Amino acid sequence: MRPKEFVYHRARDLDHALALLAEHGEEARPISGGQSLVPMMNLRLARPDHLVDVNDLGLDEIREEAGALHVGAMVRHERYLTDPLIRRHLPALLEAVHWIGHPTIRRNGTLGGSLCHADPTAELPAMAVLHGARIVLASTAGRREVAACDFFKGAYMTDVQPGEMLVSVIFPCPQGAHSGAFEELGERLGDFAMGSFGVVLEHEGGVIRRAATVCGGAKMTPIRLPEIEAALQGQTLAGLDAAALGDRVTGLIAPAGDFQVSAEYRRALIGELAGRALQRARDIALNAQP
Amino acid sequence: MTRITLTVNGRKHVVEAEPRRLLADVLREDCGLTGVHIGCAHGACGCCTVHVDGSPRLSCLTFAVQMDGRAIRTVEDLGGTEATHPLQQAFRRNHALQCGYCTPGFLMALLPFVEAQVSAGQMPDDDEIREAMSGNICRCTGYQGIVEAVRETIGDALAAKTEAAQ
Repeated sequence: MRPKEFVYHRARDLDHALALLAEHGEEARPISGGQSLVPMMNLRLARPDHLVDVNDLGLDEIREEAGALHVGAMVRHERYLTDPLIRRHLPALLEAVHWIGHPTIRRNGTLGGSLCHADPTAELPAMAVLHGARIVLASTAGRREVAACDFFKGAYMTDVQPGEMLVSVIFPCPQGAHSGAFEELGERLGDFAMGSFGVVLEHEGGVIRRAATVCGGAKMTPIRLPEIEAALQGQTLAGLDAAALGDRVTGLIAPAGDFQVSAEYRRALIGELAGRALQRARDIALNAQP
Repeated sequence: MTRITLTVNGRKHVVEAEPRRLLADVLREDCGLTGVHIGCAHGACGCCTVHVDGSPRLSCLTFAVQMDGRAIRTVEDLGGTEATHPLQQAFRRNHALQCGYCTPGFLMALLPFVEAQVSAGQMPDDDEIREAMSGNICRCTGYQGIVEAVRETIGDALAAKTEAAQ
């Protein structure tokens, strides 16, 4: 299929883009890499009347500021693979990037596009939730920040209002010694995930000070698992029973089935992925111990 | 209608296009480059892969108007109708195609990978080759022949480099 007709605008800079988005409101969508929006348009699941091309806006910085990484909306996925700040501060995200689509998608797709598309099992939305990221939205009225856990409203639904555009994402860096891991399963390499699990462990002297977890595929948005995080906190790395915690995860989630997998299979799968991710995060942390 | 200028395979094309027209359609219909194949038109199969300023991109996920002023390269520019490019020749020798519908996409997705490996002087392992072509679907031959064609192309180029250095 082919998209319905639309008016194409090429924004010169951010102010121009925001003015166009303000003018056309609900009928307008920003387009950057087009790796999620254009398939939706080709299938006529998305039918914007106006496209605002934001490829000339820049917004592609990754910078460290006040204990957080500020990542521009236009950063393309493949950048993370070689970025030293990502490697140092967000190892779980670095692992997750390998699971995003395939090389051509990673070369063209952007952070802003992926988050605003809000596929329920996409990797970057899960990473935003895992790290407690803050999403920065701009409009002609100014800027606001939304916590990632409030940003995703449902499958393909976000808190972005007409006239707004995602301009950057603030990922707080894990503090002190930390490790991270991410596990996913799809039918083939680069396919939509059936389920995923990410974890960050902050540790000191062999003891977990703070843990964050995220589960993809359990609900229509990525979710944290506070019970698992509480169970991890204060645990010794050496004594961490990852498989048992993975089993506990299955008791905490009630995913839906779909055309690929039954609800029961997905529940067991996510538990298994949780066990593996926790085990690897533990092993990485233990190997890094002096 | 919007007037756009594309440099396609080194030739300048001025095209009047509706904004909704995909780069893939403009290349096929306005530029006559039917080596750009459209399999799924939603970014799943990789058949329509072309190079934009040297970098692989799915032409079914790109509107032609976005490409004003850019340089596009399609499979026609590799080895012409005789398919003389070393990667194309290796595909032929290794039975890396049957119906050939997916082949232009594989070639365009794999060529920058092959060139990067050769310039780095390294032979990738099979997993790396499979990762590099993970965005392309073949529904008849399967992938082993393609992996072998990639390995052979890189191997030949590395051997030629060594010989030239001696």
